Amino acid sequence: MEHMIETQNLTKRYGTVIVVDHINMHVPKGKIYGLLGRNGAGKTTTMKMMLQLVHPTEGTVRLLGHDYRDESKAPYEKIGSIIETPGFYSNLTGYENLKIISMLRGGSEKNIQEALRVVGLEKETRKIFSDYSLGMKQRLGIAAAIMHQPDLLILDEPINGLDPIGISEIRSFLLELSHEKGTTILISSHVLNEIEQTADIIGVMQKGRLIEEANMAEFHKRNRKYLEYEVSDIKRVAKLLEKEFQITEFTVENNRVKIYDFSHNAGNINKVLVENGVIVSRINECEENLEEYFSSLIGGGSIA
Amino acid sequence: MLSLMVCELMKLKRSKIALISIWGIMSTPGMMFIVCLQTHFEYSERVLTLAGVYENGLLYMMLLTNMMIYIVITAHLFSREYTENTLKTILPIPISRNKLLMSKFFILFLWTAILTFLTWAGIMALSGIYHMMFGLEGYTASFGAVWLVKYLLGSVLIFFTLSPFAYISIKTKGFVAPVIASAVIVMGSAALCNQNIGAIYPWTATYFLAVGKVQSTGYPVFLVVFMIGIVSAAGFLLTFYHFEKEDLK
Repeated sequence: MEHMIETQNLTKRYGTVIVVDHINMHVPKGKIYGLLGRNGAGKTTTMKMMLQLVHPTEGTVRLLGHDYRDESKAPYEKIGSIIETPGFYSNLTGYENLKIISMLRGGSEKNIQEALRVVGLEKETRKIFSDYSLGMKQRLGIAAAIMHQPDLLILDEPINGLDPIGISEIRSFLLELSHEKGTTILISSHVLNEIEQTADIIGVMQKGRLIEEANMAEFHKRNRKYLEYEVSDIKRVAKLLEKEFQITEFTVENNRVKIYDFSHNAGNINKVLVENGVIVSRINECEENLEEYFSSLIGGGSIA
Repeated sequence: MLSLMVCELMKLKRSKIALISIWGIMSTPGMMFIVCLQTHFEYSERVLTLAGVYENGLLYMMLLTNMMIYIVITAHLFSREYTENTLKTILPIPISRNKLLMSKFFILFLWTAILTFLTWAGIMALSGIYHMMFGLEGYTASFGAVWLVKYLLGSVLIFFTLSPFAYISIKTKGFVAPVIASAVIVMGSAALCNQNIGAIYPWTATYFLAVGKVQSTGYPVFLVVFMIGIVSAAGFLLTFYHFEKEDLK
């Protein structure tokens, strides 16, 4: 499989602090790769190393098949990026900011207008950047990243500050870029739901290490389904499950029991529980989502 | 490289500092005019000359008012990419870090030269008004042109002594440290400009060179040039080295 981004033992150390620790990441061509991790996990530093904003302490990055240290900067001409909140010149309009970037890239006027149209800023011709709202700034950042029709997009938290409609528009746009134009996208986000809806592959970083890299299709396949019962007496239910059904794969939480063993019919289990005086107020068939998976992987808690 | 320089100029559009710097340097011609009027009314026996006005103006320009403004401009050019977080947008384009710095130094050179020219032109204009009112000896266009060359030479020499402030700006990523440094430098210049040792203090040495006073201080010219050169080279080398090696956090 051809990889647009490939890192080998990529490491960044500041003094004795290891920010990124020997990561081996593989971003296949034409796919959307979602990078997850809590604050300080090393996502932004990893992306900055890919973009030569931060010098790696150890390891290599291959972008579009080229070593990042190559004299030729050609691969970077095919890369668009946003790192955290986009930075632009506050005294210039959105158009003027894009004009500067376009001049440095050798782009055309048509590309600037098209990028502004795509992000819905084509009518904001007089407003200077310092007067932009956070959402508008983020949109301009996206316009700058896509203006030259890159083969690879590296986007760090690109939907920060966007309203729900803006998020939906950008999500659709990224999916369209990936599916119709074959653009490869590496995206990090705090919004797990967004990653779940857009990514083909996810990578999970924790304390500078890439602890998981999985295909979303496989992820859905292996995600555990379970039956959830809301009951009146959790201790009695635990005993009955072991005694009557020999079920050991279950967890209890408050007045809920999650049964991961599907060898028995949900109705039969319910019948036995009721016959033994347990009040069952709710039964659900559920599947672990990305958030639950993520929490279990890194030890729970919010990533924001 | 050309597009980088054009972009640097574009970044100054609507920038208040361009206008503020012009108003700032106009204080030098203004002060010269006030000094001329004051001298005329208090010491009417004294004969004022265009050369004298321009020499005083050069002192103000190279050691005091203009110098501080040039340092503020340096801080603006080199720190704004940090304060506005624009490096993460433009460096991945990709842009050579060295070329980006070179374009900024070029704009700094151009900007200081333009402001120096405006200072010279301001003095010429206000001296013209004084000349029409009370008469100013030696007030001719050709004599003014001679001083323009001296002013522009002074501007080039000042440019070479600004590189340490470029380094301070990118190292501290802001205005505060360069402005404090400029105050220290200007105080030093004020203290040393009338002393022989001022010839080897880089920021007054430039003035001594521009007005041709080095010989009278007893210091050899090569030592004066060496002192300016060493400060300038250190500033340039540190700026380029730091920027090239720096991680953008």
